[in-house]
Amino acid sequence: MFVRKSLFVLTLISLAVLTVFGVSAQDTPVTLRYTLWIGADSPQVALFNELAAAYTAEHPNVTVTFESIPFGDYQSVVTLQLAGNDPPDAGWIVEGAARSWVESGVLSDLAPALQGDADYNFDDFSASTLGLWTEGDAVYGVPFSTSPFIVLYNQDLFVEAGVPTPEELIASGEWTWENLAASAKAIADATDSYGLQSNDAALYTGNFWATLIPIMRGFGGDAWSSDNACQFNTPESVAGLQFIHDMIFVDESMVPPGAEVDFFAGAAGMTIGQLSRVNRLATAEFAWSIAPLPEGDGGYQSVVGQAAMVVFNNSQNREAAIDFVRFLTTEENVARIAQFFPPARESVLTSEALLQANPLVPAALMQTAVIDAIQQGRVLPSSAQFPRIELLVRPALDELWVAGADVQAVTDSICEQISPLLAR
Amino acid sequence: MQSSAVVRRQMSLARKDELIGYLFVAPQMIGFLLFVLGPIVAVFLFSTQERNLLSGVVNPVAFANFDTMLQSDRLFPKVLGNSLAFTLGLVPLNLLLSLTLAVLLTRKLRGTLFFRTLFFAPVITSTVAWAIVWRFLLQGEQGINQLLDGVGIDGPNWLREPGWAMASVIVTRVLKTAGLNMIIFMSAIQNIPREYDEAASVDGANARQVFFRITLPQLAPTILVALVLTIIGSLQVFDHILLMTNGGPANSTAVLIYYIWFQAFRVFDIGYASALAVVLFLIVLTATAVQWLLRQRFIYNER
Amino acid sequence: MNVSTYPAPLSEPLKSPADSVSAFIYRYGNKLLLYLLLIALSIPFLFPFWWMITSAFKPANDIFAYPLTLLPQTWRFENFVEVFTFQPFARHYFNSLYIAVLVTLGTLVISSLSGYAFARIRFRGSGLFFLLLLSALMMPTEVTIIPNYTLMQILRLTDTHIPLIILPILGGNGIVACFLMRQYFLGIPQDLEEAGFLDGLTRWGIFWRIAMPIARPALISVTILTFLYSWNAFLEPLVFISNSDLYTLPLSLRSITDEYGQAMWNIQLAATVLTVLPVLVIYAIAQRHVVESFALSGSKG
Repeated sequence: MFVRKSLFVLTLISLAVLTVFGVSAQDTPVTLRYTLWIGADSPQVALFNELAAAYTAEHPNVTVTFESIPFGDYQSVVTLQLAGNDPPDAGWIVEGAARSWVESGVLSDLAPALQGDADYNFDDFSASTLGLWTEGDAVYGVPFSTSPFIVLYNQDLFVEAGVPTPEELIASGEWTWENLAASAKAIADATDSYGLQSNDAALYTGNFWATLIPIMRGFGGDAWSSDNACQFNTPESVAGLQFIHDMIFVDESMVPPGAEVDFFAGAAGMTIGQLSRVNRLATAEFAWSIAPLPEGDGGYQSVVGQAAMVVFNNSQNREAAIDFVRFLTTEENVARIAQFFPPARESVLTSEALLQANPLVPAALMQTAVIDAIQQGRVLPSSAQFPRIELLVRPALDELWVAGADVQAVTDSICEQISPLLAR
Repeated sequence: MQSSAVVRRQMSLARKDELIGYLFVAPQMIGFLLFVLGPIVAVFLFSTQERNLLSGVVNPVAFANFDTMLQSDRLFPKVLGNSLAFTLGLVPLNLLLSLTLAVLLTRKLRGTLFFRTLFFAPVITSTVAWAIVWRFLLQGEQGINQLLDGVGIDGPNWLREPGWAMASVIVTRVLKTAGLNMIIFMSAIQNIPREYDEAASVDGANARQVFFRITLPQLAPTILVALVLTIIGSLQVFDHILLMTNGGPANSTAVLIYYIWFQAFRVFDIGYASALAVVLFLIVLTATAVQWLLRQRFIYNER
Repeated sequence: MNVSTYPAPLSEPLKSPADSVSAFIYRYGNKLLLYLLLIALSIPFLFPFWWMITSAFKPANDIFAYPLTLLPQTWRFENFVEVFTFQPFARHYFNSLYIAVLVTLGTLVISSLSGYAFARIRFRGSGLFFLLLLSALMMPTEVTIIPNYTLMQILRLTDTHIPLIILPILGGNGIVACFLMRQYFLGIPQDLEEAGFLDGLTRWGIFWRIAMPIARPALISVTILTFLYSWNAFLEPLVFISNSDLYTLPLSLRSITDEYGQAMWNIQLAATVLTVLPVLVIYAIAQRHVVESFALSGSKG
C-alpha cells in the first residue's frame, strides 16, 4: 500500500517537474530561429540582421535570431535539432545535400506563397537554378547564392617570387592549372609561404568538395555523372587528384595535412574560394586580387556552389517563416545580399548595379570572375544519398593525403563504396 | 519470553522498516529502471529493427542488422581491429606507467606530494581541454615536432598518419588517466606491511629483489583488478577519440564505441548502431565475467 | 646496481676528495637517479598545462611562433575578453555551473538514501536490487544513450538541460555514488544506531541525525566525483544539445572556431584556462580529498 502510494507521489512529482521544464509559452510573439553556417560576427550575418530588423519593422510581432553552426557540423546539427524539442524554423541548405533534404520530406513547399505574390516575380528564377530544389510543382528552397569558385591570390608573394600574376597569365592566355602549380612552387621555393591553400583550408578536415571538384573538373573528370555513375576513378579525375597530390607531396607547394596556415593572414600565395571570402581581405596587409578558375585538360570549367533558403516542416511558425524567406529573396533584398552571394535572380544577375555590388571587387573582375562564371557554371555534385556518400568519401580520401599514395587504388575503392549508394 | 503483543509490535516495526527501505531505494531504482535497465533492454530490441532517427521509420528486420555487420560492412572488422589495437596499446602502457609512478612516489622522497599532484591533475581535467592542447602539440609543424626538430629529428605528422594517429591517441589517453591507477597502486603499496621488506632487507635482498619477490606478489590482486577495469575502460573511450582524431585518418582510430556513436548520431541509423552496441555489450560482459572469476580465485582464496 | 629505499650507511671514513665524490654518489646517487626519472616522467604531464596557460596570453600569431616560446613575448589579455564576446561564454559557464550543482545535490540525496537502505535496512529483494544496480555499471553510457535519446525525444526533452541533469543522477555516475555511500554506511558501527533506536529515534531520525553526519567524508567524495563528472561531461551534452544557447562548457570550448571550422587557438585556450583553472585550484586546495575520492571509485581506461 505504502509503496504504491509513494510510487504514485513520485510519479506525480516527476510529471510536475517535466511540465514545468518541458512546456514553454509559444503563443506569445513569434521568434523565428534561422540556421546558417557563417560566423555570427561576419559582415554577412550583420547584413542578415539588418534585413531581419527591416522585416520586424513591418511585422512587429516577428523577431528573427540567426544561429551560426560551423559548416562541418551543419547537416547533422540541423538534423538533430529538427528531431528535437525546439526545431529551427528556417535556414540554409547547401547544394550537395539538396536532394537528400528535398526527398526526406522535412522541407516546406514554398511555391504557393511565392507564386501567389505578383510583386515577388517568381519567374525571375530560371528553371535551371531551381533544378535542385524542386520536385514536380513544389519548390522546397529558394537559391540565394549561386557562387562560382574563384582563385584569390596574394600579389605581393607573386612579386616576391618573381613570377607573373594570374592577371598577367590570363592576359597572355596562359592561365592553366599547370601554370598555377608552377607559380605555387615558385612562391613556396622563394618565400616563407605556401603556394596554394585549399578552399577554407578545409581539404583534410571539412568541405573537401570545394577544392576537389574545381580541379577534377578542370582535368575533365568529376565525382559522379548526372546519371549517378561514379567518376572518381576515371583517368581524368585521377589526373586531377594526382595533380593535387603532387602539389602537396612532390612540389611541397600546397599546404599539407595538419599544418595550420592562413591565406588571409598572408601565409599562402593563392587559395580557392568564393566571392563571400573576399570580405576577409578587407583589412589584409598585402595586395591581392581574384581570378576565374584556370583552364585544364578539360578546358575552362566553371564550378558553382549553390545554397538555398528553406523552411522546415517541423517549424511551429511555418507561415511566418515562409513569409520571412519570401521577404529575404525579393528582388530588392537579393540585390543587397548579392555583394556577398551572387544572385540566382536573372534580373539582379544582369543588372548594372551588380558590377558595383561589392566595393572590394572591381567591375571588370566582377564581370569575368563572377558573372560570366555563373552563366557558364555547373553546380557542385549533389545526390539524394549525399550525407552517407560524404561519410564514406571523407575517410577514404585520408588515404590519398599521404606521400606516395596510389591515387588509382584509392579512387577505385571510393567508387566501389559509393556506387551502391549512387544507384539507389 | 515475549508476549504476542511485543512480537506483533516488533513485526509491525520490521514491516514498517521494510517499507522505509523500499521508499529509500525507490528513486534510485525507478531511475535505474527508466534510464538504465529499460534502455539496455531497448538496445536489444532496437538491434532487430530498421530504425531511423530522422524519418522515425521503424520496421522489424530480425537479424538483418547483424547480417550487414558480419557480411557487408567493410568498416566493422576494421573497427574491431582498431579497438583491439587501442586496448592492447593502452592497457600495458597505462599499467606500466602508473605502476612505475606509484613505486617511485612511495619511495619516501621529498617532493612526492608535488609529483603526485601533477601526475593526477590530468584525471580531473576535462577531456576537451586535454584534447585541445594535445591536438595543437601534435600538429605537423608545431609543438612536439618543433622540439624534435631542435634535436634533429623529423617528426611524423602525428594525427594525420594512420599508425601514428593511433599511437598518439593511446599515449595522450594514458597520460590523461594513468594518475588514477597510480593512486590505486600507491595505496596498495602503502598497505603492504613494512615488516616484509624490512625483513627481506635484513636478509640481504636488494631493492630489485624486494620489489619483484615481495612488493609485486603482494600487489598482484590489485594489479589484476586494475588490469580488467582498465581493459573495460579502454573499450569505453569515446570522447577522447572524437576530439583528437574524429576517428580518422582513414578510420584508423575509429574504435567500436566511436562507430556506435557515428552510426547513431551521424548516419542516424539507430537500428544498426544498436546492433553494434549489443556486440560491445557482449564484449564487456565477457571481460566482467573473467574479472569476476579471477577475483574469486585470486583474492578470496588468498586471504 | 644497488637501488635501495634508504641511503646506505657510510661504512668507512672518507679518505680523499675522489673518494668522497664516489661516496656521495653511492649515498645519494640512487636518489638523484630517482629524481631525474621523476622529472623526466613529469615533463609530458607538466608541459601541456604550461603550454595551455601561457599560450592563453599570446596573440594568435605567437602561438605558431618558431621556435616554441615558453612565455608570451607580448601579453595579450584581450583573449580573455574575446572569449566572452565571441559567443555567450558566460551563459555557457552558468549552464555548466547550475547543471553541475543540481546533479550533485540530486545525487547526494538519492545515493545517500539508497546507499543507507542497502547497507542498513532489511527488505526483501535488497540483494537482488543491489546486484542489478552493480551489473548495470558495465553497460557504457555511450550505449544506453541511444534508447535514452529516443526516450527524451518522445518526452520532448531533447535540446533541454533535463537529460543532462537526470541521466547522471540516476545513471552510471549515480550508481557509483550509491555504491560508495553503501560501503561507507556499512563501516559505521552498528551500536551507534542501536543506541539511537533505544532513545526512540525513528528510522528517518537515525538516518538523518546519526548516520548522515558520520558519513560526511563519503558525502564529500560523492560531491567531488559528481561535480567533476558533470562539469567535464561531454557525451550527454553532445548528444542532447544542439542549440548553442544551451551549450555547456565542453561544447562551448569545442565550438570556438572560425566560420570555416578552424580553431581560434588563442581564444580557445583562454576559454580552456577559464574552464580548467577553477577545477585545478580546488584540486590544489583539497588535494587529499580529491585523490581519495577517485581512489574509491576505481580504475578507468
